[in-house]
Parts: sequence; C-alpha cells; structure tokens
Amino acid sequence: MPTAIDKTVGSKKRKSPKESGVPSSKRRAVAENESTESMARIQQLEDQISESRKHYNNIATLISMLSTDGPGTNPDLAAAVSLCRVFSRLIAGGNLTEPNHAAENEKIVVAWLKERCREYQKILASIMRESDTSSQITALTLSMRLLNERAIHIPGDDTQEWTSGLFRTIFEAVVEARDGQALQSEFLRKFVKPYEDVTYYTFLQVADYAATARSTEILETLVTLLSACDSVPSPEHDFEKFYIKTSKQNKKLLSFNSHKKRAQDAWLAVLQNNLSQPLRKNLLRVMVHHIEPWFTRPELLMDFLTDSYNVGGATSLLALSGLFYLIQEKNLDYPQFYPKLYSLLDADLLHSKHRSRFFRLLNTFLASTHLPATLVASFIKRLSRLALNAPPAAIVTIVPFIYNLFKEHPSCTFMLHRVIRDEEFKAELEAEGMDDPFDPAEPDPDHTGAIDSSLWEIESLQSHYHPNVASIARIISEQFTKQRYNIEDFLDYTYQGMLQTELGTGEKPLKRIPVVEYQIPKRIFTDRLLQEDGGLDTVPGSLVRALWDFS
Amino acid sequence: MPPSQLKQLKASLRDTGVLGPQNSKKQKRQNAKSGANAQNRVQREAALAAIRDRFNPFEIRTISRNKFDVTTRDGGTRAAAGSFHPGVTKSVGEEKRRQTLLREMEKKNKVGGIMDRRFGENDPSMTPEERAAERFARASQKKLRKDSMFNLEEEDEEEEFQLTHKGESLSFGAGDSVQDDFEEDLDADEMSDSEMPRKRKRVLDDAEFEDAEAQDEEEVPGRKKSKHEVMQEVIAKSKFHKAQRQMAKEDDDDLREELDKDLPDLFDMLRSVKAPPKPEPPKDDLAAMNPERAALLQGKSREETEKEYDQRLKQLTFDKRSKPTDRTMTEEEKAEEEAQRLKALEEQRIRRMRGEETSGEESDVAQGEDEEHETDADMFEDESLPDDAKVFGLQQPTGHSTSRPDGVEDEDDFIIEDDLVETRSDVSASFDEEDEDMTGSGEEFDEESEQEDELINGLTLPEGKPGDPGATAGAQETVDGLAYTYACPGSHEEFLQIVENVAYENVPTIIQRIRALYHPRLHSDNKAKLGRFAAILVQHVAYMANQPEHPPFAILENVLRHIHSLAKTHPESVSLAFRAQLRDIATGRPLNLRPGDLIILTGVAAIFPTSDHFHAISTPAHLCLARYLGQGPVNRLSDLCTGTYAASLALQYQSVSKRYMPELLNYILNTLCALSPEQPSASLGSFPLRNPTESLRLKPSKSLNPRKLQFWDITNTTESGDLKASLITTLTSLLGTASDLWASRSAATEILEQAHSVLQHVARSCSSSRTTSKKQQQQQQQKPQPQVPTSLSDTVQSTLDKISSHLAQSRRARRPLLLHNHRPLAIKTAIPKFEDSFNPDKHYDPNRERAEANRLKAEYKRERKGAMRELRKDANFVAREKLREKREKDAEYERKYRRLVAEVQNEEGREANAYEREKRMRQGKR
Repeated sequence: MPTAIDKTVGSKKRKSPKESGVPSSKRRAVAENESTESMARIQQLEDQISESRKHYNNIATLISMLSTDGPGTNPDLAAAVSLCRVFSRLIAGGNLTEPNHAAENEKIVVAWLKERCREYQKILASIMRESDTSSQITALTLSMRLLNERAIHIPGDDTQEWTSGLFRTIFEAVVEARDGQALQSEFLRKFVKPYEDVTYYTFLQVADYAATARSTEILETLVTLLSACDSVPSPEHDFEKFYIKTSKQNKKLLSFNSHKKRAQDAWLAVLQNNLSQPLRKNLLRVMVHHIEPWFTRPELLMDFLTDSYNVGGATSLLALSGLFYLIQEKNLDYPQFYPKLYSLLDADLLHSKHRSRFFRLLNTFLASTHLPATLVASFIKRLSRLALNAPPAAIVTIVPFIYNLFKEHPSCTFMLHRVIRDEEFKAELEAEGMDDPFDPAEPDPDHTGAIDSSLWEIESLQSHYHPNVASIARIISEQFTKQRYNIEDFLDYTYQGMLQTELGTGEKPLKRIPVVEYQIPKRIFTDRLLQEDGGLDTVPGSLVRALWDFS
Repeated sequence: MPPSQLKQLKASLRDTGVLGPQNSKKQKRQNAKSGANAQNRVQREAALAAIRDRFNPFEIRTISRNKFDVTTRDGGTRAAAGSFHPGVTKSVGEEKRRQTLLREMEKKNKVGGIMDRRFGENDPSMTPEERAAERFARASQKKLRKDSMFNLEEEDEEEEFQLTHKGESLSFGAGDSVQDDFEEDLDADEMSDSEMPRKRKRVLDDAEFEDAEAQDEEEVPGRKKSKHEVMQEVIAKSKFHKAQRQMAKEDDDDLREELDKDLPDLFDMLRSVKAPPKPEPPKDDLAAMNPERAALLQGKSREETEKEYDQRLKQLTFDKRSKPTDRTMTEEEKAEEEAQRLKALEEQRIRRMRGEETSGEESDVAQGEDEEHETDADMFEDESLPDDAKVFGLQQPTGHSTSRPDGVEDEDDFIIEDDLVETRSDVSASFDEEDEDMTGSGEEFDEESEQEDELINGLTLPEGKPGDPGATAGAQETVDGLAYTYACPGSHEEFLQIVENVAYENVPTIIQRIRALYHPRLHSDNKAKLGRFAAILVQHVAYMANQPEHPPFAILENVLRHIHSLAKTHPESVSLAFRAQLRDIATGRPLNLRPGDLIILTGVAAIFPTSDHFHAISTPAHLCLARYLGQGPVNRLSDLCTGTYAASLALQYQSVSKRYMPELLNYILNTLCALSPEQPSASLGSFPLRNPTESLRLKPSKSLNPRKLQFWDITNTTESGDLKASLITTLTSLLGTASDLWASRSAATEILEQAHSVLQHVARSCSSSRTTSKKQQQQQQQKPQPQVPTSLSDTVQSTLDKISSHLAQSRRARRPLLLHNHRPLAIKTAIPKFEDSFNPDKHYDPNRERAEANRLKAEYKRERKGAMRELRKDANFVAREKLREKREKDAEYERKYRRLVAEVQNEEGREANAYEREKRMRQGKR
C-alpha cells in the first residue's frame, strides 16, 4: 500500500507546522487557547494511533469527542476530520480486512475496528441530517472520501458499498437532511454531476428509495435531484469520469443501456409514488424534455399519463402532449382521447395561461384530414361558443384556427353557408325560427349535432369592440382564398401587448388627428341644465348618470 | 453641271452685297457720321455667316426622319431641334473645357494665385476708359457715403487721413486725393457686375430693355448703356410717371367738380320733372369719349393713349362683378342649416363606426396596403415567413416581456395590490365639504351657448395689455382672492402652484381666465400655449379625482367640458395627453384603476366618439376597460363597485355602436353569481367563474334598502348589505341594457341564455331563504316569496322578462347562416392580352410602380451614358492638351538642340578649317 503510506507521511508533514505553531498561539485569547489545546490533543491522539496498535482505543476517545452533545449537534469537525484520516489510513493499511488465517485476537481487533468505523459513519450521517449547513457539507465530503477508500481497498466491497452500504446511508442522509437545500446542491454539484458512477448509483438509490411511499417534500427533493441530471448521454458516449478509479472494471457502469435503465427505474419509482397536484403538474411540464429521453420503454409512462389526463383541468392539459407522443410513436390505443380532449374545452380554458400551449397541441391533434367531419364540427362549434366569453387574445387565436379546420374539412363549411331547399322546413323557419341543433351538454363529440348548426357566434363577434378582432372574425364570411393561416402568429397575444401596439411606448405624434365629438355635452356627471331639456336626459352619457349618483 | 465652288462663292458674295463696288470717299464719310457703318458691318457679318453655312453643308445636320409638327405651350423646342450644328456644339464644348478643365489642369499642383476683383476687370463690354471712369465714380461715391451724419469735421477729414512729409501733404495732384487701388477694389467688390445676384441683374436688364424700346431708334443696338445711364433713365422715368399721376389726379378732381355741378339735374330727373334741356356740355367731356380720340383731341401722343387704353382694358377684365350678397336667414332656415350640419356630422360618425374611410383617406390606406403587400413580397423573397397576424393590425410588441407589470404572470393571475388599501386608508370619507361647493359653481356659465368659445364668453378681457399677462400675474387680486391674470402654465407642476391655495370652485374661473388671456387671436404663440394647457388640464382632472378630499363633480365636469372645447381647437395635444394617461394606466396599474382613471375614461366617453370602428383614443380606452373587467380583482366590495362603474362605462361606450363585449358580460354575470345569496350548484354558462377570496354573498332580508350607487363607493371600505343589494340592482339593470344592445346579434340566444340562467339563479336564491328545506323550496318555486325588498326583486324580474322576450324573439329570427353568397372566383385566364394599336416604344406595364421604376431606370441609364460621354470627352481633351504640351516642349528642346549643335558645328567647323589650313600649310611647306 504505497499510496496509503505516502498519505500518512504527507499528513504528518502537513501537521508538523501546526505543532510548532502551538506555542506561538499561546499568547492569544483564552478561548483560542482552548481550541488550540483540543486541536493539539486531537492531533496527539491521531499520531498515537498511527504509531502503534495499542493506541487504538484513542479512536473511541475521538468518536466520543466528535459527538459530545448527542449525535449530530455541535460536532467537533476537527475530530471528524482526524477520524476520517485515521480510518482512511487503517483501511488503506488493510487493517479493516480480516486475513484468512488470522489469530483470534486479530479478529477481535478487526471486528472492533469495523464496529467503530460503522459508528463513525453513523455519526457522520446524523451530522448531515441535522447539523448546520457547513458541518453538513463537511460531513458529506468526509463520507464520500471514506466511501472512496472503502471501495478501493476493501476487496469485493465496492458494489455492496454503493448499493446498500455507506452510499445508501449518505444518500438517505442527503435526501432527508434538515434545511438540506445547500447540502443537496453541493451533493449535485460536487459528486453527482461530475462523476458518472455517482450518477448511476444515485439513480439506483432513488429507485430503491422511492419504492415506498414518501412525503411530498422528499419527493420534490428527489425530483430536483433527478431533473438536475438532465443531460442524457448519447449511445456512443464513453463513460470515463468516475469518482472511484476502480469503477472502470465494472461492466455495468460502462454500458449506456444500464445507465438508462437505472434512470428509467428511478423516474418510474418517483412517478408511481403518491404525487401531489402541483408536483404532478411540474413533472408533466418537464415530461417531454427531461423524463422521456431517459426511457428506453416510454410506454411505461402510459399509466402515469393516462392517470394525469383523467384528473381534468390544467393537469390534463399538461398530460396531453406526453400522451399524444405515446399515441403517435408507441401506438398507444386510447379510444377516449378525442372525447376527453373535447371535454377539456371548458369555460376556463381560454382564460388560462396554458391557452397558447393548448392551441399548439390542438393544432397538432386536429391536423389529420382523416378525422370525421362530425367531430371536427363539434370542436369548431364548441370553440366558437367559448369565444363568446373569451378575451380578445383568445378570439384572435380561435378564428384563424377555425378557418384552417374549415379549409381542411370542407364538409364542415355548411356551418357557414346552408341553403334550405326543403320547402316545408323553409316555411317552418319563416314561421317560428329555429333552435340550435348543437347540444352543448353532449360529451361525445361525434353526437353533438354541431355539423347541422351554424356559426352564429363568430358572426356575432364580427361586431366585437376591438377593431382588429372584428376584422379577424370577418375572415369566415369572406372567400376562403388563403390556403391556411399560420396559427403560431396568432397565439401569444395579451391585453398588455395589444394595448402597447395601440398606445406605443412613448410620446409620438399621431399619424391622423383623432376625431373629437362635435357636440360638447351639456352634462357629464351632474344634472346641469336638466330643466331646459324638460327633465329628460337624452344627452350622451345618460346611462351612467342614470345608474350612478355623482355627489 | 453647276458652276465651280469658287464661282458659286463669288456669286453669292456679290448677291449679298459683301463684295460690290467700292464706296466713294464722300459716301464713306457720310456713313461714318450717321453710324451706318456699324450697321453695315453687322449686316455683313450676318451675310457672311449665312454664306459660310451654305457652303459647308457638314456643319449642319438635319434629322433624317420628320416628326409631326406639334404646337406646344412652351414654344418650338421641336423646331429648334430640327437641325443642329455638330461642329458648333463641339467647338462650344471645346471652348468650355478650355475655360474650365484646362484652367484646372494648369492650376494643378499649384498653390495660390490672385483673383482679380477690380471693378469691370472681367467685363469685356467695357472699354478701359469706361472702367477707369466707373472706378473713379465709385471711389468718390464711397467717400461721399463715408462722411455721413456722424462726421463732424467734414473738411478736416481729408487732412487727417493724408500722409504728410514734413508738414506737406503727399498728394500727387492738387486737391483730389488719389485713393489706393486696393481700397477701390474693395468697394468694387460689392457691386461688381459678375458678383451681382442674377435676379437683380435681370431686373436691370429688363429696365434697360424697356428703355431701349421707349427711346428713339437711333441708338446703336449693339452698344450697351452703362449702369449709370440706366439708373438715370429709371429715375427720370419715375419722375415722369409721378408727374403724370399728379396730372391725372388733377383731371379727376376737375371731372368730379363737373359731376357735382350736374347733381341738381339728376335730382330733378329723380323727381320726374323734366328739367329744361341744358345746353350741350362743351366738347371736352373726355370721360365719355373713346380715350384714344380724347387723347388725340387733347394732343397726347398716340403711344401714350394706347398705353392708357391697354391699362383700362386690363382694369376692366380684373374688375370684380358685383354679386348679390347673402340674404339674412330666417330662424327656420338657420335651424334647418344647423340640422343639416348635424346630419352630415352624424353621417360621418356612422361611416367611421362602420369602419369605412372617408374618401380622402381611402387612397392613403390603399397605398399603405400596397406597401404592406410589397413588404410581404419582399419577405417572401427573403424566404422568411410573413406574419399572418400582421394583416389584421396585430403585432407582437417588441420588448414584450419587460413591459409586463410586475406580478402579472399571465392572464389568470391577478394582482391584488396593497396600495389600494393604503389609499383607502388615506381617504377619509369627507362628504361634508362637497355640498357647499356644489352651490357656487354652475351658475357662472348659465348663459353659455353651445358654440365653440362658449366657455370663455362670459369673461371680458381685463384692462391692460393682454400681450404680456405674465408680468402682472397675481398682481391684481379681487375680493375672492383670484387674480385676473395668470401666467399660462407650461407644466402640471406650474398649474398646481397656481391653484395651490385656490378653492375647488374657483378652478374653473382660473381656467376660464387663462383661456381668455391666451386666446389664439391675441398672439401667435398662444395656440401652442393653449395646447399645452389643454394637456395639463387632462392631467389635472385625473389629479383632482385622485385627491382624498373628493372635489365636487360639478368642477370635474366643468374642467372636462373645458378640455372638450379645447380639444376642438387642439385635438392633437388633447388626444396625446389622453393617450399618455391611458398608457400610464396600461403600464402602471392595469388592474387597479384609481378614481382619476375612471374619470379620465368617463371623459373619453364624453369627448371622443366611442362608436368609431377605430379611434386612437377610444380603442385603447376600450381595451383598458375590458382588461380591468376581464382580469381585475373581485375580492372586496369596493373592487366590485369599481368594476360595476367600469362596466357601466363600457356599456356607455357601446350605447351607439352596440358592439359586443365579452368581458362586460363575463364580469356582470360573474359578479352577480358572487353576490347572489347562494352559490350556483352547476355552471350557469361558459363564462369563467372567479370567486372572491371571502364570501361577499348577500344575506337576504326585507330590511335591505337598495339605493343608487355613488361614485365614491369605489373607495368605500365598509361592507353593507345595502351596498350589495344596490350592486345587484345596478348590475341587473346593466344586464338589461346590454341585452337590449345585443338582442339583434345572431348569437343573441347564446349570449342571453347565460344571462337568463344567472338572473334566474339570483331571483331564486333571493326568494328562497336558507332555512327552508328542499321540499318547501320546491313548493315555493310555484309561488316564490321574495326575501328581499321588492325594488330589487322587481328589477330582477323585469330584466328577466325582458331577456326572455329577447330570447324568444331571437329564436324566431334565427336562420342558418348564409355567409358565402360570393360570386364564384374567376379561373385565372391564360389568354394573352392584345393591344390593337401596339407601339413597341410605348410601355404597357399595368403595374404602375414597376412602370415608374422602369422609367427611372431608363433615365438613370441615359444620364449615366451622358456622364460617361462627357467624361470620355474630358479625358480626350486632357490627353490632347498633354500631347500638345509635350509636343511644344519637344519642339522647344529640338530647337535648342539644333541651335547648340549648329553652334558647336560652327565652332568645330572653324577649328576644322583652321586645322585644314594648318595641314595644307604644312603640306604646302613640304
């Protein structure tokens, strides 16, 4: 073990100036003195351990020093560091492995050392769980160093260390740590992201860990951990950056597929846990970019997606794209897709912030020319119904969208132009008008009767208060000469944007001087000169005056 | 066979009289005396030129093919172009180059030079004597000019400036001082002929020309008169004319006297008493006569009379015929005219409402569209996709993300700002002051007419100079503490200073006085000042309404009316100010409207036509209202009050044009749902439900007293059942009005059904009390016992009835849509378009822009060619000149060389001869 020896020598050398520095620091404050004293004592204990086996009892002393006030509170970090050094040395020196032909008392010593080591690890984990941030991070670093030593020097121990041993303890401690944001980000930054073996085993641990139902906060932590590892390696990727040098010998760590499999398992475990609504929405949002690439078998997502889709509201909306991907790519059979989609068109949709996202998807879903005309007509009619209560930005999207649908499904254009040939029906119409054949309550888009209806709603919107919206609504009553409108151009409008286009950002001279009302009204708020008009208020503004009392 | 060239020449010379018998000496002398010599010379030159032309046919080139003769206004440019002289043009060009290019060439790489600016130096028409005389004249004139009124010692001046030597003057001649040449030149500068502005020169030339005409023909035509002479002539002429005018005036006086003498006769005639025929007036009654004859009689010269005749003729042509004046109109006619005017204005308004452009603007728009198409086409060429949305005037604003107010993430996130609460805490309900204020105002302007200046009519201008009212600002204070004059404020801060210590009811007086003081008729700057003032007033209205002490509405109204009347004269600044306010609202507090904002929006309704299809102010105002209605907070009763006011305003905006406003409907329905005593069990329509954070539901009780809503309820923090009940009443009646507006829409059923169900819900939940069980409720369905005051339930019920009738009507009127009764589109034809009388030179481009572009291109090409030709000629010229120079140099060198060689040879020859001689001598010796 030349490396270990080197290390001990090195550490000794490093220590020597400190020892010489002790007398000089005596002049300082008393508190300082105390700390230097304890430092010196720790140093002394450590040196003794490395000198001879008979001082092994010092380890117990050090451990007791490490956790004077119970595990995890106010740890003496110097002791922790020195213990780490001690154990590293011991592990490297082979003192923690049982030689086959060892004597009884040897075995006892080794067993005792192992026990102490385990104790030390436990204390480190509890520090990570409960201590303050800096101690947490130190404990993490120490544990990882210890892990490194163990994996290298204890034969046949490396996989076990990773899967069930020390790494599991570390991982759990990290995840469950109190106020652990800093610790987790440190863990991600220092270990998970740069080292591929750590990533691999983290996935493994996540999968194991999430197999049982966990609380929302823990799941959130897991999701952040997982989504931080967002760079999916390419199949030709060479796995080289390992935390532990010996990991290279492990075939599994070198294979792309096993990496993917681990990630997939980890995600699946998280997804199958009991997710809260916001977390579910979050997951759905990152689904396409962060989760699906890891999956070798995306159909495994099916359950999650269909469940989410059935939730309704914004969640269904978010599940749409993932589900559609499965339908398109993986031949997922989901017969309720269009009825479900139809049911998503509700009063709140056009006012939600996912509106443009939804329309992008809807544009894809309804792009097929093989869809039945009745279904498309239902969608058109439903959208135009909703447009009656929609903000201008939504109407601006809906009308070109409907135009495109008409263009692709010409049989629906009866909704715009229907000549009645039946004389009887004509007479009936003349006599008593008609009801809308469309049934808004019908959930199945194939049976709404929308194709027999007309788009009175859009025609009414031609007299919308906003001139641009009105002129857009007018395209359905003009000749359909344009091939199609690019929906993307109409999607992202807001009140703010519209106002800004109207008003501009700064003072600019007007192109055309606005018209001013030619008559100055006699009254705006008050009853001025009302007697002259015979008490009858016909001046513009009478509506407001009638309803409001200005005094 | 024609005779030889020489013979022809001789013959023609003889014919024209160039060659001829020699004049005798006597004749010559005579000619010289009468000046015929010069004339002869001119004639001879002309004749010779003609002969030269005739004998050198290559000097003239004619156009091969004749074009049709046309007569144009500009005169015969075509005729002049009939034949041209290539040689002449060439030599002219050459000459020009020699003057410009050669000069430049010579000056090249040389620095400095003297410009000769002495008077007449560059004028070839002046003889040296004339030049000297003119220069002398100028010098003396200048001297004269110099001793002007400030010169105290006229005589001594010369002494002072004289150089002396040992006390004696250094003058050359006796008395007259010789001025420096240089000084003289400086004078000459100013008036030098070449420097004189061309225009003036032409004027002078004209004068000269007239003079030449007027004067006798004896003068030699070629010789020009000197300036001095010309000026003298002009002076003489003006004196002459003056004298003539005086004479004419005297004549007129005489004539008038004579007419006066005849006046009694005229009176007699009027009295229809035939006066005894007077003896014929003497023959000198010139006015009645032909002026020419009169002039002849008077002995005037013929020319003068003719001139006079012309003058009179001109006067007659320009004489204005008298026209019948406008008759004073009767009251009915006035009323009718007013009605006509209003009708025309209303028609215009309706056109704007439909979005039709007035004829003048139409072409602009078309052009704009063309441009748009053009840009579209360009974009296609750039292979980038055109924005479909742009055609409809929709544009994604740049800097989209930054402009969003903080906190608004998207459509359905609403900010509830805290300052709303703050302002409310500031606002102490102080209604007590208002009533007092109300009384004072209003009466002042009672007798205003509806005319433009109505608002300042009541006030007469104060005494003193209206031009500088700023100087006396605040100086004259009257009893009520108001000054008569104020400085016109340039910013809102200044105005605030003016009205700082002034009670609200006096603000209109101040505005009125400022308007009167700075009436545009008084000073040209006032228009701009009043424009700024109008913008300040807009700011001030918002400012006043935001004040915690709630100024009386009569004042706000008055100021708004002032703004309106200013807007008629300064539409630009007023609308810009309104737009600035709207921009403030849109960027700063879109979902938290202040009272001032609501007042501004009310003002928009009063001042601008809100029915227009597009209007620079009402469209954004609509958007502001709609945004508030769609997204504004609904958490407190005051929010609901603000929203209800905004809804009333929105409805007011649409009262004429009757456009559909989804947000308005959504808001009313949602608020009714939120206020109704019970929560609706199922969705009542496709409007999005927004529930307040804490319940605002009405607790039905008989004791409620719905009242008319007050404007300041929007800042009211107390919650009361009364307010809720009155909100419900107001919203219901708003819904009723809205249903009236939209009943004619084809989708009225869909729109009103929601309203119907919501109102039904309200009515039901009002009538059923909480305690009743379901069974009882069902029983009560038959005969609802309202738990609320009758006024509320009556309003709801009547609106319900109205909406039901509208629904029934719209069902009856419903027909399937027939939107596409278009003429089928023609298939594009591939038959070429034939032109019957096709002219290959003409361009038949139907695309005017392309044709224009082609024309420009051709012109550019032509110009380019011309420029290149000129450049090439220049280069040739330069090369030629260089060659010539070189040749000269070479020749010079050659000559020198020859000379030297000859010299050397001479010398050498002599030496050689000497040598020969020596040799021969030596040989001879031998």
